[in-house]
Amino acid sequence: MTAHAISVQGVSKIYPGGVHALDGVSIDVRPGEWVAIMGPSGSGKTTLLSILNGLDKPTSGRIQVLGTDTHGFGPDDWAVFRRENIGLVFQQFHLIPYLTAVENVMLAQYYHSMPVREQALAALERVQLAGRGHHLPSQLSGGEQQRVCIARALINDPKIVLADEPTGNLDEENEARVLELFRALHGEGKTLVVVTHDPEIGCAGERIISLSHGKVSKDSATAAGARLATVGGPPGSSGDPCATSAHA
Amino acid sequence: MLSRMLLDSLGRRLSRKALSVLAVWIGLTLVLALLSLSVDVGDKMNLELRSFGANITVEPLASAIPVQVGGHRLAPQTVPSYFDEAELPKLKAITFFWRNNILGVAPRLRASGLVKGQVVPLVGVWFDVPITTGSEPLVTGARQVYSHWSVQGAWPTRADQCLVGSAVARKLALSPGDTLTLVAGRGEVALSVAGVVTSGDGDDGAVIAPLSTVQGLVGAPGKVSSADVSALTTPENKLAEKYRQDPRSLTPDEYDRWYCTPYPGAVAKQVQDLIPGSAARVVRRVSETQGMVFSRTKGLMALLAAVTLVVCGLSVTGILAAAVLERRPEMALLQAIGARRADVLVLFLAEMAILGVAGGVLAAFTGPLLGRWLVSVVFGSTADVHLAVVLIAPFLGLGLAWAGGFWPVWKAVNQDAAQVLHGG
Repeated sequence: MTAHAISVQGVSKIYPGGVHALDGVSIDVRPGEWVAIMGPSGSGKTTLLSILNGLDKPTSGRIQVLGTDTHGFGPDDWAVFRRENIGLVFQQFHLIPYLTAVENVMLAQYYHSMPVREQALAALERVQLAGRGHHLPSQLSGGEQQRVCIARALINDPKIVLADEPTGNLDEENEARVLELFRALHGEGKTLVVVTHDPEIGCAGERIISLSHGKVSKDSATAAGARLATVGGPPGSSGDPCATSAHA
Repeated sequence: MLSRMLLDSLGRRLSRKALSVLAVWIGLTLVLALLSLSVDVGDKMNLELRSFGANITVEPLASAIPVQVGGHRLAPQTVPSYFDEAELPKLKAITFFWRNNILGVAPRLRASGLVKGQVVPLVGVWFDVPITTGSEPLVTGARQVYSHWSVQGAWPTRADQCLVGSAVARKLALSPGDTLTLVAGRGEVALSVAGVVTSGDGDDGAVIAPLSTVQGLVGAPGKVSSADVSALTTPENKLAEKYRQDPRSLTPDEYDRWYCTPYPGAVAKQVQDLIPGSAARVVRRVSETQGMVFSRTKGLMALLAAVTLVVCGLSVTGILAAAVLERRPEMALLQAIGARRADVLVLFLAEMAILGVAGGVLAAFTGPLLGRWLVSVVFGSTADVHLAVVLIAPFLGLGLAWAGGFWPVWKAVNQDAAQVLHGG
């Protein structure tokens, strides 16, 4: 039985030149939990997410994902682990420019198992892009591209979704759509870790972990998290950070 | 999916793709031209090197017996011996295996005579004699075999004309247009000096007359003392060397291989078998010089081709490295969504393979054409398009693209994917 979807213990990341991006960070994320990682620029939140998805390696510390100790994982081990368990959402979408929307989604299927166009089209329909499957990324708006990115992240039914500033390049309308999608995913029991500057996105989750200078400065439940805590126990320290910051 | 990605990817950034194909095309065109040239260079060089003289000498068996006193061969002087001139056309007969390798024959009848009261060596040779036996008519003689002879005046065209060696001409004050009276054997004959020859060897001290004239003078009709043969041969290798040192050391298979390869020794052996009572020996200096020049020229061609290939590979590397650099985010993304490094490598190498093969196929047409042109410029003759060179071109293109592209792609798949995806 896995106690934590993600367990980070004493993780540090020191870049060449001695820059401490992360300094002894320890956090646990429960299965199905929606965690926002917030903090000012340079606080280490993107580095933390890159270490959680295996695209970057910590200088020290240990990480367990879904009960698997990733210590000693090489790039290919991580690639296989990601395609089986983790969906990634990027701020810049990162769609292959010469593939259509549906082909971009099928690409994730290709490396996971087998590309099935109907499933890819259904994933696009789920993100309200039915009928846009044959369009190239250049023919889609930023919000639409982000939804293709989310469809690609979800096509292999990952247990964990890691999102890096998913609404950073979106207008309000598209931000609301993405938020709605995240709520739906959370409702399905996906574990969500979202790096964001946006208090609205952060407060939509159950818990906010604040980073400052590479350290966890605050780990607190949101109102939604507090409600859940009355049932399943508190995920972090008490105090709703959204009570004052939601509309800051 | 992979094929779709390949096709879609190839359709983008056409100018960069075209540049890659162009680099492979131009580079391989040069390489294939040099390869074509190196394939042809053997035959062409051999033809050119005929100017060094004959590479096989045929003598009567009796005069070939090594009778030496104080290091001097005495057999020819002590026992005048001949073989039949009529045997020589057999060298171009259809029944002779190496007939197509025989480029020229110059029989000699050696004697001595008196000119202006001075004893001078007399040599009877062929001047432009047609050999009609066999499938290919051949006009041959001293003029063809001794193309290194420098003749002041003209070559003899009639039986009453002769050449005089430059030393004799100086000694007896003879020049082209003069008439000399030659006394030899049982008679004398008046010969017109057509030209003065400088050969750089013993012929400079001789009077060189038509063979039939000398045969008549010395009373040896239809006889020759020796014959110099110019043959197209291949440079000797270890097998030929092994035969030369001890023919009995060759296994039957080795002997068959030696016998069916135009080594100077193998051709000489079969010439000797063809002409009864003769002994054929290789003029080692000439054939070794030919072999050395041939080997060095071929080596130079191979070196040039290799250097061209390396330069071409470097330019392809540069172009592909730039292309890969542009597509680092794409590679990082593929890894982020679950592609292993090998998967990404395969995808990009497949794309490079298509570009390389395309360049190779184009070069398969242009390379041999350039090679033909080079042969015509360098040797003044035509060259065949070699099928092997054409067939190897796409594979060379493939190899070149992979050799040039592997390192940039390998570096890119081992990049810091997180940094690339964040715009680093």
